[in-house]
Amino acid sequence: MTLKSFFEGARDGRLTAVRCTACGGLAIPPKEFCPACGKRGWQAAPLSGSGTIASYTVIRVAPRKFAPEAPYALAQVRLAEGVSILGRIVDVPLDRLAIGLAVKFHPLVRGDQTGIAFGPA
Amino acid sequence: MRRVAVIGVGVTKFGRHDRSSGELFAEAAVEALADAELEPSAIQALYYGNVVGGETEKQLHCGPQAASILGITGVPTTRFETACASSHAAFRHAVMEVGAGISDIVMVGGGERVLNVPTEDSTEYFAYASDAIWEQPLGLTFPGVFALVARAHMHKHGTTEEQMAAVAVKNHRHGTLNPKAQFRKEITLEQVMTSAKVADPLKLYDCCPFSDGGAAVILASEDVARSRKRAVWVLGSSAASDWMLIGDKPDLSRVLATERAAAAAYRQAGLGPQDVDVVELHDCFTIAEIVATEGLGLFEPGMGGVAAEKGWTSLGGKVPVNPSGGLKAKGHPIGATGAAQVAEIVTQLRGEAGPRQVGGAKTGLVHTLGGNTATVVVSVLGRE
Repeated sequence: MTLKSFFEGARDGRLTAVRCTACGGLAIPPKEFCPACGKRGWQAAPLSGSGTIASYTVIRVAPRKFAPEAPYALAQVRLAEGVSILGRIVDVPLDRLAIGLAVKFHPLVRGDQTGIAFGPA
Repeated sequence: MRRVAVIGVGVTKFGRHDRSSGELFAEAAVEALADAELEPSAIQALYYGNVVGGETEKQLHCGPQAASILGITGVPTTRFETACASSHAAFRHAVMEVGAGISDIVMVGGGERVLNVPTEDSTEYFAYASDAIWEQPLGLTFPGVFALVARAHMHKHGTTEEQMAAVAVKNHRHGTLNPKAQFRKEITLEQVMTSAKVADPLKLYDCCPFSDGGAAVILASEDVARSRKRAVWVLGSSAASDWMLIGDKPDLSRVLATERAAAAAYRQAGLGPQDVDVVELHDCFTIAEIVATEGLGLFEPGMGGVAAEKGWTSLGGKVPVNPSGGLKAKGHPIGATGAAQVAEIVTQLRGEAGPRQVGGAKTGLVHTLGGNTATVVVSVLGRE
């Protein structure tokens, strides 16, 4: 899976990991070698997009190009399949953020850019 | 490996300067050469740390530039960039060069200038140390990384914002004793707790400042150092990495690179955390100090916050941490920080730290963390 195909899928609402054909380990984003077994054989593994917040923050002092969006929430999200990824949290009031909160993948589309985000489950 | 010693140190005052990073390094290098009683022609290689020179000063190729400003040429020079750990990574590689017998006298230094650009820009440049495809486009900042660490630590161990604030209060108190510190004013717990939010739960006074500054240390082989009474020996110097992406880190309440680098450095030194008398560690944020004291084995996991609150890490406490004021009060010119931390521990082990001296310190530890917790360098130093 290339970065381009990952983000094209994400734009259409599909979050995709890769599964090691040797040991079954999952990786998102893809890696060349499996961190678990060292083999290099992968197949695409669509994820449900469901997960829970493992840790979170609200960015209030932002880099220049993100300043108009502040404050905004970022979280490490533990996906149902066991892998984790960083994403924006959208459509959740900032005072409702909590570790363990259930969230669902939600592409963050800005022009031709697609980012990882999660909204309410 | 041959034994390696530090025989000279120099640091500038940290803070706002109207000089380039190369000039700031050179000021520190002149001080280090005088401290070592050496002519510049004695230097056989320069290992140099600089991080955002390309952005703030439009300057790459900083190694030969720094050497040229100092007035030496011909020797190999290399710029190291491992985010905030840059000049400590440079130090480790210089130790290997001297230890391997390639050179007898090597200079390690660093310089950084960031206060010449607005905060929104420096915030962006520092964020370049996170992943450009997966993290920067989400608006992740450097305080944001440690805010995620803080939340995870609070959730797992019950660490409180007041315990984090205690780190800031302690390091500012230590900073009042360091004439080269950027901030030399005590602050109160209430000031920390009511300061502006930066990245929840981190507030302004949980964060180290942006700083300009330079630092330099001189390494020498045993043959050169043996006769020098003020030599401080490098007993161990090790580095480790962790996954670059936040998503790949299995437990944000720990910094695995710290645990790995510390284990290797202790093994090289034949010592353990119980042997350490004084520590300079990477308190880029208050939570970073708490997690580092645990990762270095100074306290059990979950006890780092308690240690700060109870004064165990204060001057006069069980294990004084950051007597210089740390990054928090001394300042954090990122490319110079590692070398400056080494300089402080050398000064402590020589017994020359004046009012901030840790009495009888014989073994010291330096811990420097790069950016998003993916790089850590740990060195253990000792006097005979």
